[in-house]
Amino acid sequence: MLVIDRLQCNYGKVQAVRSMSIEVRPGELVTLIGANGAGKSTTLKAISGLVKPAAGSIKLEGRDITGAPPHEILQLGISHCPEGRRVFPHMTVRENLEMGCYLRTDAQGIAEDMDSMLDRFPILRQRQDQAAGTLSGGEQQMLAISRALMSRPKLVLFDEPSLGLAPNIVDATFDIIRQVRADGVTVVMVEQNAFAALDLCDRAYVLEQGSVTLSGTGEELLDNPHVRSAYLGM
Amino acid sequence: MVPPGVRPGGSDTIHTHGAKTRLDQFLQHCLNALMLGGTYALLGIGLTLIFGIMRVVNFTHGELYAFGAYCMYALVVPVGMNFFLALLLAMVLGALLGAVIEMLLLGRLRGADIDTTMLVMIGAWIAMQNTEQLIWSGVALTVPNPFPSAPLVVGPLSVSWLRIFVLFTAVGLIFAAYTVVNRTKLGKAMRATFQDRDTAALMGVRIDRMHTATFALGSGLAAASGALLGPVFVVNPTMGDLAAAKAFAIVILGGLGNIAGATIGGFILAFAEELGAGYVSSGYRDAMGFVLIIIILLVKPTGLFAQRERIG
Repeated sequence: MLVIDRLQCNYGKVQAVRSMSIEVRPGELVTLIGANGAGKSTTLKAISGLVKPAAGSIKLEGRDITGAPPHEILQLGISHCPEGRRVFPHMTVRENLEMGCYLRTDAQGIAEDMDSMLDRFPILRQRQDQAAGTLSGGEQQMLAISRALMSRPKLVLFDEPSLGLAPNIVDATFDIIRQVRADGVTVVMVEQNAFAALDLCDRAYVLEQGSVTLSGTGEELLDNPHVRSAYLGM
Repeated sequence: MVPPGVRPGGSDTIHTHGAKTRLDQFLQHCLNALMLGGTYALLGIGLTLIFGIMRVVNFTHGELYAFGAYCMYALVVPVGMNFFLALLLAMVLGALLGAVIEMLLLGRLRGADIDTTMLVMIGAWIAMQNTEQLIWSGVALTVPNPFPSAPLVVGPLSVSWLRIFVLFTAVGLIFAAYTVVNRTKLGKAMRATFQDRDTAALMGVRIDRMHTATFALGSGLAAASGALLGPVFVVNPTMGDLAAAKAFAIVILGGLGNIAGATIGGFILAFAEELGAGYVSSGYRDAMGFVLIIIILLVKPTGLFAQRERIG
């Protein structure tokens, strides 16, 4: 579904992504793990069009989307739930969800999705007219995820969904992501919490200094001695 | 707004009927302030969108105000267009000019530091002002209006029909601007863009277009303000300078990015000017507002109505 081939991204003179090759098949939950600065977030930003790649290619269902602007990529069915939740703090919960379907024009479908999202997260319904900045971290994460789903994506990119959340909220967040995947949406997730990520995913890539050093199924990597010592602290 | 000595009489003159009581005089000043406040509010809202939300120190704002006034002159006098049609067209042209400035100058300066942007905007300001002078010379021009020259007299108070029209139009435009920003999809995308640019882009918002649209909206409001006040006073090439200074004062007074604050700020400035001119000295009319602002900012440096959070 998504094929990334020898992707390279620079920030000025710094090479954040050197030569990244990743493949994601339809319906899969793929996770990218790695230390800070390994190029995980940059890879996601390159996929969603926020960062222009310097070299390499990104293909979605055979179609070259390398360097396309974010609105085109979203239109093709890739939604990106950014690191740190990034809800619009001074807009209401409902307005945030409406921003999630900014490019959609099917009023009826939008109304249905809005309703089902608010049913799924009753706390969001309860706070729909409240500024998103006043929500707790966990509530903001639910809002950010729902917002990312409001575009009816085929593929969702989650960047550090557990970052800065209380442990019980982290579990709830991973449950939601599992549910998203069960609904038939392909998921690519970047996660610092390597143990939880490997446990949740079908396949994983280990990123070090801007390229893939290891890949395999979640179980394989959980058993890998290098992964165990470097990322799982065992 | 108008250099000393050229404040015109005509329909704008306060009509006094024999001896007015002190209370009547006070009420008359307040009425005049109310008439002026609406256009000041428009000017302030326009700038609060550009300076308060986009964070562009927009030195061309006053020139857009002058542009609106000159459009009225050019369309009504040489072209002979209907006054109301000319007003509408002046606003649209102002918004278009704003869009052009944004795309031509600011579009290339995305991510440039504030000093660079300020210098470019100062250049644009000087260029626009000199263009006005080149085309229309430095002579003050008057714009005829279709309203009856006899004022509306209610008891001891009098007010020109033109000024009543100006106030109602201004208030209508204030509500329209508020509605666009808070109730429409465009407004939502604008707010999202200036709250979190990257995330707005991820929602599919085309960031460049939002910059252009916001600048155009703010510029259109400045042009509307000039188009409304041009016929009340006179039109001359330096009219934009004081208007720009006042617009910044209103925005700072009301709190950056706050439409309601800019509206109230506009009225406060108008009241300070009218009452200052009436009771202190008419020579200090334009100074009064700034004195008030200095005092307010000494007491409350965030502006009178600064919410903890801006709308954008």
